[in-house]
Amino acid sequence: MAENLARLDSSAPFLELPAARRSRVRRLAESFTLDLGEPDARVAGLPVGTRQRIEIAGALAADPGILILDEPTAVLSPDETASLFASLRRRADSGKAVVLITHRLTEVFETADRLTLLARGRTVKECRVADTTAEEIGSLLLGSAERHEHASQGGLRPPTAADRGRSAVLDASAIVPSGTSAPPTSFSLAEGELLVLLAIDGNGADTLARCVAGMHPFSGRIEVSGRSLPNSGDPRAFRAAGGRFVPADRRAEGLVASLSLAENLALPTPPGRLFLDGAAMARLAGERLRQHGIRAESPSSPAATLSGGNQQKLVLARELDDRLGPPRLMVAVHPTRGLDLSAAAAVRDRIEEARRAGTAVLVASSDPEEARLLGGTLEVVYRGALSGPLSPETPLPALGRRMAGLAS
Amino acid sequence: MSGFLEIALLLSAPLLLAAAGELVLERAGSIQIGAEGNMLIGAFAAFAAGLGTGSSAAALAAGLAGGLAGGAAFAVVAVAGRADPILVGTAWNLVAFGGTAFGYRLLAGATGAVLEVPRLHAGALGLPPAVWAVFALPLLVHVGLRTTRPGLRLVAAGEHPEALRALGLSVVAVRTGAALFSGAAAGLAGALLVVTVSPTFVEGMTAGRGFLALALVVFARWKPLRLLPASLLIGAAGALQVRLQASGGTSVPYAFFVALPALLALLALAVTPGRGGAPKALGAPAP
Amino acid sequence: MTVVSRPRVLFAAAIAASTLVLLAVLVLVAGASPGEALAALVGGSVGSGAALGETLTRATSLVLCAAGAVLALRAGVLNIGLDGQFLMGAAAAAAVGPLLDGTPNAARLALLLAAAAAGAVFAAPAVWLSERRGVPPVLSTILLNLVAAAAVTWLVRGPLQDRAADYPQSRPLSTSVRLRPLAPGVRTTAAFPVALLLAAGSGVFLSRTKAGLKLRAAGASPAAARAIGLADAPLRAGALLGSAAFAGLAGGLEVAAVTGRLFDPFGSGVGYLGIAAALLGGTGAGGATAAALFFAALGAGSSALQRDTGVPAAVAMIVPGLLVLGVLLVRRRLSGDEA
Repeated sequence: MAENLARLDSSAPFLELPAARRSRVRRLAESFTLDLGEPDARVAGLPVGTRQRIEIAGALAADPGILILDEPTAVLSPDETASLFASLRRRADSGKAVVLITHRLTEVFETADRLTLLARGRTVKECRVADTTAEEIGSLLLGSAERHEHASQGGLRPPTAADRGRSAVLDASAIVPSGTSAPPTSFSLAEGELLVLLAIDGNGADTLARCVAGMHPFSGRIEVSGRSLPNSGDPRAFRAAGGRFVPADRRAEGLVASLSLAENLALPTPPGRLFLDGAAMARLAGERLRQHGIRAESPSSPAATLSGGNQQKLVLARELDDRLGPPRLMVAVHPTRGLDLSAAAAVRDRIEEARRAGTAVLVASSDPEEARLLGGTLEVVYRGALSGPLSPETPLPALGRRMAGLAS
Repeated sequence: MSGFLEIALLLSAPLLLAAAGELVLERAGSIQIGAEGNMLIGAFAAFAAGLGTGSSAAALAAGLAGGLAGGAAFAVVAVAGRADPILVGTAWNLVAFGGTAFGYRLLAGATGAVLEVPRLHAGALGLPPAVWAVFALPLLVHVGLRTTRPGLRLVAAGEHPEALRALGLSVVAVRTGAALFSGAAAGLAGALLVVTVSPTFVEGMTAGRGFLALALVVFARWKPLRLLPASLLIGAAGALQVRLQASGGTSVPYAFFVALPALLALLALAVTPGRGGAPKALGAPAP
Repeated sequence: MTVVSRPRVLFAAAIAASTLVLLAVLVLVAGASPGEALAALVGGSVGSGAALGETLTRATSLVLCAAGAVLALRAGVLNIGLDGQFLMGAAAAAAVGPLLDGTPNAARLALLLAAAAAGAVFAAPAVWLSERRGVPPVLSTILLNLVAAAAVTWLVRGPLQDRAADYPQSRPLSTSVRLRPLAPGVRTTAAFPVALLLAAGSGVFLSRTKAGLKLRAAGASPAAARAIGLADAPLRAGALLGSAAFAGLAGGLEVAAVTGRLFDPFGSGVGYLGIAAALLGGTGAGGATAAALFFAALGAGSSALQRDTGVPAAVAMIVPGLLVLGVLLVRRRLSGDEA
């Protein structure tokens, strides 16, 4: 730990013997009232919270004129948060600038002088904190969504009591994603049910979804179609149980960008016995491109040449493929992020089609509008904890407050 | 000083030097399998300079310069250019082998005449001071990496280069420095070979010592102090071989002594769980 | 796929031009005349039946090693151990060869299978270390190369030594087992067409089979391959072992077709040259084969070059190395365009 701090701190001496370094580091930690652990401890073995505090201490020690902190309190205890903000306040009062990036409205209103609200990349409001209230900012956070109220995309309905009677396709109990300090969460899905985990980025909705899809290790128990999934995270076991996964990063995880459309569609089980059945692949590609309205030059162009919307449609086309049996559970993370309105609508339609055909759907999203339009049950995730089922009819400002951590 | 000890130390020194250079580079997150090539270039440069000037000091300087040039070329293509360092090293070995063979043929002509180069004079304690200096290197590297700020940053470049980037520092700059250091070390090591162990140049005379340096770094689990006993052991083994050969026993070629540490390094890797202590960002391009 | 695209033609032209420039520089440094040098090079590589035979003979192991390198590279693995695997294949052939007696074709087949298997087995520790201990294959295969070189040194002076010979080498294979030259006065044997066939086969494997598609996916995007549900670790392991088998086979063919025995040192770094050829050829089987042929021609021509003009034959190593460095500087990617 001491070595890391010495590396981060540009005001540390050039050459320093270990003993001198240890005492200097101890003094630093005391002056910031941050618990950094033992100087000789290996950072790799320290919990995430401590590591974050070490980084903060390093930044503070350098005594910069402008300090930018990006979500610093995510892993701090209330006491530490209080003392961190006290020292930030002191810095500001002494004339140094501090920029705090956060979505925790309590922090903003307790400590900051001015705020700038960004939504979807645009500045929505810029003012002094004294001139506004938490309510106003909370609803502004989601305000742009209200302007986009489309007519409902037909037939979206929350699950009925009859659905509840069916056996669970997905049963997650006491899940804690590895490497986080989230509380254990549990949720389940029956056939044809749709659950949206709604959260601001970094609060754990996508991590939970990835644990279900076998992409992230966890403790606890996850069962898909009655089969228990390995805790270390095994995508193949997930798929063998009838699971399908639409990742958030379609370029890095959703598609093999340099392979052709037809090749991507054929994976992971291409037609043919030893040799690829080229004709069958071409037929499959043609069918899928038509079915899903994917616009492309030719099935043999690389997947990288498609637009974002068409790429997402391609991923869905592959995942909803039923050559080996219908998908029983689909996990989708941010399915319509970055897509234009018509592509997003097409993606939502596919998901709804699958749901009607009996596939259970778990969506992780940070967009309340997307959550509302998808229908199904909503749960807001804040710091890894679930809020409990909410109806999709819940008004947006209320959703926004929950997402920002303000109790409702 | 007894002949055996003298030979053992002389044989260990070039190995230790090359290994120390390679260790620094690998701790910084890159890897130069072309160390063999740099050693050859250093040896040839020393040979040519020694022939031309008759001074062993000039030979050492030339070897250092040759290795430095090799390190610079590596920095341009593999560090700044972000090409895969293994591929660059492979290509570099080809160039170095071919280049030194080419140069030697031109210098020595097609005849088999052996051209000699002046040796380094033994100083106090029976060995040239340059050789003694080499044995201080592991300690210097160890201290440097742990107590100086540039040293800590170098370690960061190998473990988690993004953290350096976040601080606004250039990983490329750190690794370039390491590449120059390791190139110079390998070149000097090759030069040492020429002016101490064998006073002439032969095609491919390094006989795998550069690769052996790589094995040593792995065997030492990337900790500089462990290089010392490892290289001394190999030097002793080599001295033993010379003695056996002199007394008319079996003559085991050098390749044999290269394999043993490699096997031991493999065993060490097999036995340790995890990556065996390798820097986490080893071989990854600079962010 | 059979049409050669324009960028590739331009690239090949650039390589040819760079080669000429580099050669000219080296020749001038050596104090010879570029015209004479070029004549010697061309004459020595393709100028006569014997020369062509020489080129094709050298090309055999180069083509196979290049194909092996391509297989590994497309799966996202860097098999630096090709040279060591080549040596082990040669050692296996030298060990097994003198013992074989039966029908020539069966004996040859057994010999070559043994050689290929030896190469693959020799790469197995690297696979194990990679999967079970997270050791990067580059580290373990480099170390294995050192072990292989020492093994050859020991074998030709120990168990395999031919007592009747005046310097250390292994016992010779009987002439019935050895492959016969295709034409009188030429060293080329059936080994060359076999190598071409296998290289073409590896290309077909990559582009036309199910396993090849999965392998390419795992190499192009390991994260996506994993998310899609491909077993990427076994795919990579298989690619590494397959490429090692290719190198082992190359070693076996070198012994069975060219030298008839094992000696020390053996092969002059053909494994590394094969990797260079794969890189130059854009990591596709076709391009790699073309590059391997080019390097072989360079090698054959350079011995004539040294004989006739005194320019050292080492140019055949310098030029490929510099060409690859140039490509690496400009291209910066591990897996290049598809062939």
